[in-house]
Amino acid sequence: MDGTRGDSGNAGTSDPSRRVVLRGVAGIGAAAAAAGGLRSGFPLAAGAQPPAAAHPAYHEPHGDPVVVHVRDAGTGELDIFRGTGHTRLRDPDLAARLVRASR
Amino acid sequence: MSSHREAPEISKDPVADSTDVYAFVSPDSPGTVTLIANYIPLQEPAGGPNFYEFGDDVLYEIHIDNSGDGRADISYRFRFRTELADPDTFLYNTGPITSLESPNWNRRQFYTLTRASRDHETVLGDGLACPPCNIGPLSTPHYERLAAAAIHAIPGGGRVFAGQRAEGFYVDLGAIFDLGNLRPFEELHNQFGMHIFSKPAPGVNATNGLNVHSIAIQVPVSELTRGGTGEAHDRRSVIGVWTTASRQRVRLWDADHGENITSGPYRQVSRLGNPLVNEVLIPLGKKDRWNSLPPADDKQFASYVAHPGLAGLLPVLYPGVFPHLAALAGSGKARADLEAILLTGIPDGVIPGFQNYTGSVRADMLRLNTAIEPAAKPNILGLLGGDLAGFPNGRRVTDDVVTVELRAIAGATYPLVDKSYRPDAAAGAVTDGLTPASVKAPYLDEFPYLGTPYSGFSTPS
Repeated sequence: MDGTRGDSGNAGTSDPSRRVVLRGVAGIGAAAAAAGGLRSGFPLAAGAQPPAAAHPAYHEPHGDPVVVHVRDAGTGELDIFRGTGHTRLRDPDLAARLVRASR
Repeated sequence: MSSHREAPEISKDPVADSTDVYAFVSPDSPGTVTLIANYIPLQEPAGGPNFYEFGDDVLYEIHIDNSGDGRADISYRFRFRTELADPDTFLYNTGPITSLESPNWNRRQFYTLTRASRDHETVLGDGLACPPCNIGPLSTPHYERLAAAAIHAIPGGGRVFAGQRAEGFYVDLGAIFDLGNLRPFEELHNQFGMHIFSKPAPGVNATNGLNVHSIAIQVPVSELTRGGTGEAHDRRSVIGVWTTASRQRVRLWDADHGENITSGPYRQVSRLGNPLVNEVLIPLGKKDRWNSLPPADDKQFASYVAHPGLAGLLPVLYPGVFPHLAALAGSGKARADLEAILLTGIPDGVIPGFQNYTGSVRADMLRLNTAIEPAAKPNILGLLGGDLAGFPNGRRVTDDVVTVELRAIAGATYPLVDKSYRPDAAAGAVTDGLTPASVKAPYLDEFPYLGTPYSGFSTPS
């Protein structure tokens, strides 16, 4: 999680109420899981070590990178970007896990 | 400046920073309109080894409103792609670039041009080559030939160019942004009591010797208008023009690969229609917001046009020179003349034989009456100089938009809406003292009209 830790550190994630940008969840599968609530299989779950292949997700051959922006950790509001698309969802549990994983 | 570095955020993003927009009936190609949008301001020509280029991650567009609602009915979209032939050399070119296919040219750009209407998008060209930057006699000999080769024909009888050009906009930035000094009148400036200037001085063109990057397209009038009779009094002859640059919402630095990664929908970060509107009329705290919106939303900014801060400043900076303007500004009356010139167009019946009215929607667009033929002897003051084919009827590359807008704000155009108003004598004389002759690189008589870019070799910083 070195790469993720470094980026989140720059974003100032020590305060969960602040906006957090997390990058590079793992491609198509992760995007589908996020849209469906992502109860399992998310590579950045609290305490988990990301798979080695997750870090360079931007160049994985199966599609565009996926970028998740935790707009508000308190309400669980998330922006998910992929290609030229944008999805906004509210998932407090996922938001909380992302914030924990970013520390 | 017309719109160079005009807002805090976009001033930090020059690749997406629009500087000027031009729209005019092509003087050498009857029946066509030329549209030019410039980006990447104030390029110092010797800026190697990484010479200036368009952003692969920026969506550049020139928009046309032909229905008067301040929204695009037609958009020409430019999307760029950079190719690096040899990543193992530090050189832009490894020998003379004598053609657009030269193997000596290491880093080159191509683009896709599309035409989008409200219901569909058509690819007009793909893999269109840009010329290189003008480096010097060893690297880019016969630069004019390279640039000419980068003019591409497009379906429907038009042509397109995207690449470096000499800056054609002339302005005395150094003086104007030194607390509104106009060198030809600087002895009349209040000088804040410092008594520095005692006599007039000639203007200094701050953009001389600098380059920009242009996207330019020339298309038949019929591609832009919504039918009509083709007569000057017909409102359907009028189009509104502006340019935008957009970026995807997310940009992340991928340290592993040493590049930015972009994602998400495109959002507008730069806009330009009439010169100097965002630069001079919109307040600092709202400039970047203005840049993010379509002209259709300009009603919220209309008060800054109707009550321009500069109209109140001129009488203060030049005591006793603008008494009538001081009274007008102090009266609180809306400047309906400026609203017409910049936000709605000038209705029929105000100026004999002319109108460029698009309706009541207040929207900053460069309005061109396409039925008015090019002037045989253009006057750089456009309508103010009695030339119906010049700014603010569109804008030609040589038009002196700084002087025209200075004089308009100073009250020279207020009689258009109030015949009892007598402008100050200075309103008809105020200028920053420059003309097209202040531009070292000659303008071209043909597309793309802006001059050959200055080379780094011949134009030291």
